[in-house]
Amino acid sequence: MVLGATSGAGKTTIAALLCRHFAFQGRKVAPFKAQNLSLNSFVTASGEEMGISQAYQAWACGAEPHWTMNPILLKPRSEGSMQVVLRGRPLADAGPGRPVDRQAVLAAVREAYAAVAASSEVVILEGAGGAAEINLAERDIANMATAEMADAPVLLVGDIDRGGVFAGLYGTWSLLPPRHRARVRAFLINRFRGDASILGPGIRKLEELTGVPCVGVLPMSRVRLPAEDSLDLGRDRGQVAGGGDMRECWMAALDEVYQMSRAHLDYELVEHIVDGRR
Amino acid sequence: MTNISGPIGPNEGCAYYPCHHPGQDCTLCFCPFYPCRDERLGRDVEARNGGLVWSCEDCLWIHRPDVAAAARAHLVGADRPAPSELQQLREAIMAKHPPQASSLMVLGATSGAGKTLLVAALCRILSDLGLRVAPFKSQNMSLNSTVTSRGEEISRAQALQALAARTEAEARMNPVLLKPKKDDVSQVVVLGKPYRDMDVPTYYGEFACGEGPSIVAEAFDHLRRRFDAVVIEGAGSPAEINIADVDLANMMTAEITDSPCILVVNIEWGGAFAYAYGTLMLLPPEQRARFKGIIINNLHGDATCLRPGIEELERLTGVPVLGVLPHVEHALPDEDSQDLASRERGGTVVAVLRLPHISNFTDFDALELEPGISVAYVDDPSGVARADAIIIPGTKNTVADLRWLRERGLADAIRRRRGEVPILGVCGGYQMLGREIADPLGLEGDEPCTWEGLGLLRTATRFDAYDKRTVQVEGVLASGGGAVRGYEIHMGGTVSEEAPLFLLRDDEGVRAEGACDAENMVMGTYVHGLFDLPSFRQHFLSLAKVTERPEGPTDYAGAVEESIAKLAEVVRANIDLAALLDIMGVRQ
Repeated sequence: MVLGATSGAGKTTIAALLCRHFAFQGRKVAPFKAQNLSLNSFVTASGEEMGISQAYQAWACGAEPHWTMNPILLKPRSEGSMQVVLRGRPLADAGPGRPVDRQAVLAAVREAYAAVAASSEVVILEGAGGAAEINLAERDIANMATAEMADAPVLLVGDIDRGGVFAGLYGTWSLLPPRHRARVRAFLINRFRGDASILGPGIRKLEELTGVPCVGVLPMSRVRLPAEDSLDLGRDRGQVAGGGDMRECWMAALDEVYQMSRAHLDYELVEHIVDGRR
Repeated sequence: MTNISGPIGPNEGCAYYPCHHPGQDCTLCFCPFYPCRDERLGRDVEARNGGLVWSCEDCLWIHRPDVAAAARAHLVGADRPAPSELQQLREAIMAKHPPQASSLMVLGATSGAGKTLLVAALCRILSDLGLRVAPFKSQNMSLNSTVTSRGEEISRAQALQALAARTEAEARMNPVLLKPKKDDVSQVVVLGKPYRDMDVPTYYGEFACGEGPSIVAEAFDHLRRRFDAVVIEGAGSPAEINIADVDLANMMTAEITDSPCILVVNIEWGGAFAYAYGTLMLLPPEQRARFKGIIINNLHGDATCLRPGIEELERLTGVPVLGVLPHVEHALPDEDSQDLASRERGGTVVAVLRLPHISNFTDFDALELEPGISVAYVDDPSGVARADAIIIPGTKNTVADLRWLRERGLADAIRRRRGEVPILGVCGGYQMLGREIADPLGLEGDEPCTWEGLGLLRTATRFDAYDKRTVQVEGVLASGGGAVRGYEIHMGGTVSEEAPLFLLRDDEGVRAEGACDAENMVMGTYVHGLFDLPSFRQHFLSLAKVTERPEGPTDYAGAVEESIAKLAEVVRANIDLAALLDIMGVRQ
């Protein structure tokens, strides 16, 4: 499961790369994100609405998008209010004074994950936002609650372009309760510009402090993928060649990044972490 | 004390001016308190005849305008006081205007945490309390620079903070400015003047642990002796453990200036508690001990849901959270190019070429003050084809970015719009619009060469020396009427066979600046900030297909001032100001 130290750390892309990697090995892979907060949605062949990022990851797996890959979609409507899309269908508007039935939501997540897991050899899960929101820990659905449900090992991603990545990764790991901390099996540093050798001492210190290895430092790339939230408008979103099918452009861009990533990420370690669980 | 004629400020006519520093107040040319024998202000030195004599050549206190005014108020017209009375008077003035400023350093858990604007707001809040305040950032990496009235180049962020502090910007407020040039190489500007180009290993390996700290210490010390409070800004995160021992901009500056620190963390991206905790815990204990407060910034929504997280963070770190600041809309310029893509909002589109080394893109903030105008940062030919007006902005690397324009088909796309929409080149963009760019010494490229320009203006540019023109300018539109004000920052010079765009006044009289092919609506200039006043902005936009004109000209400086006041108000309302003043040691 791919978790982030912040929103926009690159979870969606990293998860898509892992989907691609296992799909290229000929394994049957599927993406899963329990709950997605996004106004950019996709409609499946059977007419269900889901987050476009999971549709994108499904294509990366060579699979057809299905609502079970993203059973809850939250669509902000106005200040404090959002539409809840459950199992691909609008359920209700939630907001102050109109809470969602947590048990119903968790049941949908369990049901959806069971369906995805039953039909796949590998499931690449994605969390939401920062993984250590200590003010929201009790209400967590999309992060460690899902990791525990799926009994998944966790890869924690930090964005170095914003600075403070060591603090973000160390802080996130430290603020997790011990049983969750034990799930974190690797760090990944994303969006690095320049010569990665300068990071050596920092990475060694992080590994020493936490006992968790770093699977690699992924360089900044202008990968074009569907934007998930308005925060994406603030970042360089890359470009695609004109004309053609947008989905093909997305996959072509992803393949380019995947090829580049092979030199920077220890996929063997990732495989070991994923398969070691079985 | 009849020799005190009146408050005279800087006496620029004096043969000895400036005996201490430009801008000094000369009302009390000779210090009435001499020899004060206050070791904070002066020291005994050996006299020529062998004895000891009190020297205050390094004392700036009596040349502070507030101190000079206070001393004058007591002394003018009075009989010469007895030495003991003078001593008492000096102590009384000193209690109100201490010889050494209080300081506070604001550090961020990440870049973009909101340090710059928080420092600006604090400068304004302290100024509102009647203190004389200066901003300070030891080292800033930014391509958005401006020029002080003395022709020194500093980061625009510190100039903005100086404005917020109601004091004049000077190079000491940003003694080291790094301007990224190309991969891993930056131009290092020291005390407002280009010093030399350095790559990352040279900067960290030689400068940051060599001469850098003493440059920072001297600049800060000067400010500390002239102001009541100095608010210091860090850079990026202080917990970059891979470069901690050479990170001049953060904890090294906190130690050099011996300042208490607060940490600001942006909650918009999530992970704020983790970043705050991680930042503090990765610092060695003696550095962590400098942190006296945490500020959570940029919250969308209701702060009450953060309570459990804040209590846990305070319990784990022992550092109090001084406040949670809401997200604020404002008209203040951005520092980093990371914010560029978010600008497109519909309406008449002014396309700004998103050059790889784009500089001074704050020039275009003012365009968005006009209703119905949006600024889009484009990097593909279709963006150029759709534009209602095209701007090629400044760049840190004219030659590389010109090559980029050609490689991406942008050069041809721009040429195709000639005569259809206004095309403006600013600084590096102006150089590109001409016929050629000659670099006989290999200053701009890697080796001596001459490049063909876009050929849209009959101009030619030469880079003849590793020298930079940095000057503030004022003048009018050459086409008649309308004031323009701005500043020039460039290497290289341009000769033009076109009509000028501006007529600028300077010490030597009126000179023509820029180039304008009115028939084809192609213009070029070296003047940054050219849209800040409404005249040229409205002239330029009138050439674009703007359908709606605003009722009255919007005043950009007024909008900035309004934003500073608003930010200060928000900060005042949402932080524990008494605790903050206590941390600074400011007596109320």
